[in-house]
Amino acid sequence: MSDNKDVIGTSRRGFLATTGKVVAASVTVAGLMGMGEAEEAKSCASTLPSKWDESYDVVIIGSGFAGLAAAYEAKKAGSSVVILEKMRTAGGNSIINGGGFAAAGNPLQSAQGLKDSPELLATDMIREGLGLNHPELAKMVAEQSWPVVKWTIDEFGAKYQDHLMQEGGHSVPRTYMTPTESGSEVVNPMLEKLSRMGLDVRTQVYVERILRDGVDGRVKGLQVRTGYVFPKTGSGKVKTIQAKKAVILAHGGFGQDVPFRTMQDPKLTATMDCTNHPGATAELLREALRVGATPIQLSWIQVGPWGSPDEKGFGLGPHFAQEGAAMFGIWINTTTGKRFISELANRKLRADAIMNFMNHGQKCIAIADDNMQGGVKHLIPKLLERGVIKQYQTWEEVAAAYDVPLDALKKTVADYNRYLAQGKDEEFGRYLNKEAKPLQLPVYVQRLLPKVHYTMGGVNINVKAQVTDVSTDQPIPGFYAAGESVGGVHGAVRLGTVSGPTCLVFGRIAGQNAAAEKPWT
Amino acid sequence: MFACFFLLLTAGLFAQEPIRLPAAKPSDCAACHVGKSPLPKDHVATSDLTMKDCVGCHAKGSPTALAGKLPLSHVHQLSGATCAQCHEDPKNPEPVAKAKCMGCHDMEKVAATTAGVKPTNPHTSPHYGKKSDCNLCHHQHERSENYCSQCHKFDFRLP
Repeated sequence: MSDNKDVIGTSRRGFLATTGKVVAASVTVAGLMGMGEAEEAKSCASTLPSKWDESYDVVIIGSGFAGLAAAYEAKKAGSSVVILEKMRTAGGNSIINGGGFAAAGNPLQSAQGLKDSPELLATDMIREGLGLNHPELAKMVAEQSWPVVKWTIDEFGAKYQDHLMQEGGHSVPRTYMTPTESGSEVVNPMLEKLSRMGLDVRTQVYVERILRDGVDGRVKGLQVRTGYVFPKTGSGKVKTIQAKKAVILAHGGFGQDVPFRTMQDPKLTATMDCTNHPGATAELLREALRVGATPIQLSWIQVGPWGSPDEKGFGLGPHFAQEGAAMFGIWINTTTGKRFISELANRKLRADAIMNFMNHGQKCIAIADDNMQGGVKHLIPKLLERGVIKQYQTWEEVAAAYDVPLDALKKTVADYNRYLAQGKDEEFGRYLNKEAKPLQLPVYVQRLLPKVHYTMGGVNINVKAQVTDVSTDQPIPGFYAAGESVGGVHGAVRLGTVSGPTCLVFGRIAGQNAAAEKPWT
Repeated sequence: MFACFFLLLTAGLFAQEPIRLPAAKPSDCAACHVGKSPLPKDHVATSDLTMKDCVGCHAKGSPTALAGKLPLSHVHQLSGATCAQCHEDPKNPEPVAKAKCMGCHDMEKVAATTAGVKPTNPHTSPHYGKKSDCNLCHHQHERSENYCSQCHKFDFRLP
């Protein structure tokens, strides 16, 4: 054991010197299967197969926004491309997300007289991210946020509402929403166009190994399992896939990986629900780190404050709590009957506040009336039907249903209505939406339950989306990453609806740069 | 000695496991279920029965409904679909693509049939529209599953 540790240590410090021998000694071994796990685990380099089962220029892992954007750009640039997806359906978390895309300085804002700019978005991101964001990455996303939304319209025919949404931590409303408020309305047009270009997502392909050459340090391919059935370990057939130009990681975050996320943030135990699909696990991040990728900010894991205990996962509650109650209503603590924070504070501040209350046996609810604007209005019947929200005709009913002190509740509502009238939230300085009107009966109420939502950390990249080597800080040749698999863009807090643009922007960059690589021979 | 014991043991196991005989008559349970009938002891003889006959007693939605009990491959067989209608080579069957299912089932009709299912229509979704692969939920040779339930609390009962 101790020998093994020594080898790992030296190989990280002197990558080329030590690992070159491993490969040189094993090039004659046909295929990967001849080499034992223990042997391979000695270094971040891998034995390359003498003959690959499949070969492409660009090999993309993951089929969410980032993977699809990368695939589109690489394909358009003339590269042969394959998109690998371990699950049985394409789209990852992007196809189940809320359909919001922050776009700074967009035409809807201009039409409504809202002043905004990429600089302001970058400032918002970095302020709320506690300055842990890598400025050049955050600025890239901010600058490209509106252009990339326009790109989804121009290239794929994506459609959006004419109403802007606002998530916590944003200075102004700047978020485009798809018509039914689902990211699927961007993913599906992308999937369809890629399909017309002859590129269909390969589902049920699980990546076991990233194959990095010990001699030149380049990532040259993957060892995968085709026909994999999530979550059956060892299912499917082992195959090798050559990446002549590059491998692009676009596998998403690890919100559903309870052991790994609890290791990074011990508060986020199995008792917490998660908004992600079940495949959002950490095995490929672990594998990227094994081959030498630099980890960054893995402990910063976002908990969404707007979840509901009356449904599983992401559901519909976040739409009501955010687009209804946070923009046009109030959030209160049921024990005090008072607001406790700006409902448009960033997700971490709000989730932490609610979780702290819960630790003291207190609960929070979100309240809005029929004046809420935007697509969320169309979700109200479903929200009611599923019991995620309930409607009340009197404040007495609300007080009784959630055990809220009635006088305090009435005062809170009166105060909030006064703040709207005077155009200033005296208590919490919340941005008051231009379309907001005094809260009046009847009202809808949702119980709030914070849920694990997004992992800000991941592998470290530069502005070219190249993954950097932990031992040298230099880009690992042939190795790119984009989307939630990447860390450093958002720092401590990702602002709501900035994930979509982040995935698309760096997906495009990764795809373009990967396609421009010179193939290895 | 050990090898003999091993052979006996595996032979014993195989006797319990059904075998797949593409040529077997669908209503001849014993042809594939060698040695152990999957039916209750007092079940009427199944020879010459079709799916229509089965549903005559096991009405849809009734306590004795077959949804979730009878594998869909059997429903297909008893309805007259043969192995070869789905698999190019029944002796070496490959997974079946949705297009094959759509050769007999019309997606629009399927979605219309379940339009009233609560809390939501399982055959059209905000994520995948009507494009979901049938096999996400409706397996033929193993128990079907509620794929939506990995993210939702939708209590669908499905064949």
